[in-house]
Amino acid sequence: MLEIQHLTKIYEDGTLAVDDVSFTVPDGEFMVVIGLSGSGKSTLLRCINRLIDPTDGEIIWNGVDLAKLEGEDLRKARRKIGMVFQHFNLVERSNVLTNILTGRLGYNKTWPTLIHRFPKEDRDKAWEVLRRMDIEDQALKAARELSGGQQQRVGISRALMQDPELMLADEPVASLDPVLAHSILQHLEMLNKEDGLTIMCSLHYLDLVQRYSTSVIGLRDGKLVYQGTKKDIANMSDEEFKQIYGEDAERIGGSLEGNLDEKGGLA
Amino acid sequence: MKIRRKPAYQEKVFKPGLVPPVVSAILSAIIPGLGQALSRMVRRGVVLFFSFATIVGLMIWRFQLAAPRDTGVVDIVKKAFHLDPIMILISVLFILLYLANIYDAYKVAVNSRKTEPRKPFLVFVALILVFFFIGWQIGKIDVYALVTQFDDAIPALSRVLWPWERAITYPEEEWEGTALMETPCTDPPPALNTPAEEGPYLIVDPACGEPTTQEENEAGESIVYPGTELHVLGYGFLPDEVVELWWRDPAGSKFRQRQDGDIITVIPDENGEFEIDIVWPYRIIPPSYREGISEWELQGRQITAIGEWEFSEELILAIEKMIETIFIGMMATFFGIIMALPVSFLAARNLMSANVFTLGIYYLVRGVLNIIRSIEPLIWAVLAVIIVGLGPWAGILALTIHSVAALGKLYSEAIESIDNGPIEAVQATGANWFQIVMYAVVPQVIPPFVSFTIYRWDVNIRMSTVIGMVGGGGIGYLLVQWIRNLDYRAAGIAVWFIAVTVAILDYVSAEIRERFT
Repeated sequence: MLEIQHLTKIYEDGTLAVDDVSFTVPDGEFMVVIGLSGSGKSTLLRCINRLIDPTDGEIIWNGVDLAKLEGEDLRKARRKIGMVFQHFNLVERSNVLTNILTGRLGYNKTWPTLIHRFPKEDRDKAWEVLRRMDIEDQALKAARELSGGQQQRVGISRALMQDPELMLADEPVASLDPVLAHSILQHLEMLNKEDGLTIMCSLHYLDLVQRYSTSVIGLRDGKLVYQGTKKDIANMSDEEFKQIYGEDAERIGGSLEGNLDEKGGLA
Repeated sequence: MKIRRKPAYQEKVFKPGLVPPVVSAILSAIIPGLGQALSRMVRRGVVLFFSFATIVGLMIWRFQLAAPRDTGVVDIVKKAFHLDPIMILISVLFILLYLANIYDAYKVAVNSRKTEPRKPFLVFVALILVFFFIGWQIGKIDVYALVTQFDDAIPALSRVLWPWERAITYPEEEWEGTALMETPCTDPPPALNTPAEEGPYLIVDPACGEPTTQEENEAGESIVYPGTELHVLGYGFLPDEVVELWWRDPAGSKFRQRQDGDIITVIPDENGEFEIDIVWPYRIIPPSYREGISEWELQGRQITAIGEWEFSEELILAIEKMIETIFIGMMATFFGIIMALPVSFLAARNLMSANVFTLGIYYLVRGVLNIIRSIEPLIWAVLAVIIVGLGPWAGILALTIHSVAALGKLYSEAIESIDNGPIEAVQATGANWFQIVMYAVVPQVIPPFVSFTIYRWDVNIRMSTVIGMVGGGGIGYLLVQWIRNLDYRAAGIAVWFIAVTVAILDYVSAEIRERFT
């Protein structure tokens, strides 16, 4: 269980990005964070694994306050939290296998990894994950040679290598077209349902939120302005949606379900 | 993150100028640019003012230089116009510029009430033209000399362009016949030279006499008393090969026989014999050799090629020095890389902006690198020669210093431009600092590092070809030496080697860099 209490982040230039946010994520949840660009979604997610240090508040995960961890303890905690990024954040010149193996860095001694030596079980695990993500045949290509959808699956694979208990996904489909978006989210849903992985994912499109989330929080100007279950969001009216997204928002995207093959892959 | 909204776009409001158009024009006539500045085009006014100040300063200098002995403005201008007609053109253009400036001040003031600012086209063209012709005058550009004197340079240039006759030599043998001479004559005179048993010999008649002497009379004119006329017979020489006539004076120094200023040579007939009349030449002899009877020797020399061709000394030297040159560039690049790597991390802003202290180091390192880089390798070579003396080590030092600065800057810029995303992602997996650097930073900086390094290697070898000119070793030293000796063929060999090496290198370096981008 992840418990966020009074989380606040003020950047050095004085920007208030997250403003006293509190909420709880039960284990096994597919929680979606919605809100406009700049509403604090990314900051919130990055505070959880401490890529950004929060200014104030607590992040209690399995009884430990992540906000107070430093050094070795922080790195150990990070190992159990996977993260997927909007722009994939792969090392483009390295091959897919190397990219995925970086997910095991936290579990290995420093010196062997510096000369790219990983234990056999890690390598076996990498191939297994690649098979599961359906990109086995891309393993030895440089990451930059892959399509966007494939790159994001590499990103997910890298996070999976960490044996995560929590997966943070920062706009994982914002750089992809709608068909691929569904494919990626179906992969995340599969991990959520099959492995019981807790997922916190920020999304832009209401139809994707309605389709995949089991609970939703909404941020606006860094404040928590909405909290609801899957049922709530299914019944969400345009007015409520506009409250979160502001007046400019529209319902974007159409139904693409059913156009996908069984595995959800089109690549 | 919060998005800060920009204020709504506002259309720029053009306020009217401070002075009416006529006043603006008059002000610009007194101080160029003032009218424009007061019509709210301050930058244009400042540029114009400093341009005029520069031009007037340059013109005063060049006019005085053109007419150095005259005083008074009118005299100087007249003389300068007379001696250097391009001054007339410059003056006309200057007046045109001045008028354009006044006109521009007027129009700017008129237009300052409208929204569209006036483009200073006429002033700009006039300004460029004035600077162009002042530059022409200062640079002493002389197309006439280039065209008319080109013919005279063709023999030298053609030797540089096609130097390969000098690339091979034939081993030579000297064939020498001599005769001893005495001065002054004794009684009885010495016997004539007897035929040698082997090889060539000379018989000179008489075998004694007086060299040419020279004296200065009271009026300071030098009077020449010609020496004894000598009848020289040569035997046993190689037929149809040039014989040079040389003297060895009593002090042992050798010099060639001249007649009326020209060097004398003879060509023997088919029997290897020749006959020539010469005058015993003038020679300054140290007093200690003048006492008693002194002995001179007349020599007839033939130089003939024997045996197969071989590579000339110059060609071998050029090859050796070219290899040295390439290694100077290579070693400098090695040292440059080794030192630039750590320095570049200190000069990368994204790594050094953690706190004031590291930022201070960043600015210090950046500053030092910029200063070092702004001094040319040739100047560093001159300084290095002072410390370690002439030779390749000085060249390596000079190029290393410059390479560290240049590579340090390029590397640090590569580090600054890496994508933060992978770093963030690897950090999120729980990796430590070393792992982050190895997996997220290194893969990103390797391609630019390789590319910059190859480029630098290329630059260093090109620089090392000239660094020898100031004593830094390598082929540049030979080139300068040969050019100074007017040995254009040998210089041509060096030029060819440099050109070919640089061309090959250019190609190779471009190929390698292509693979890494």
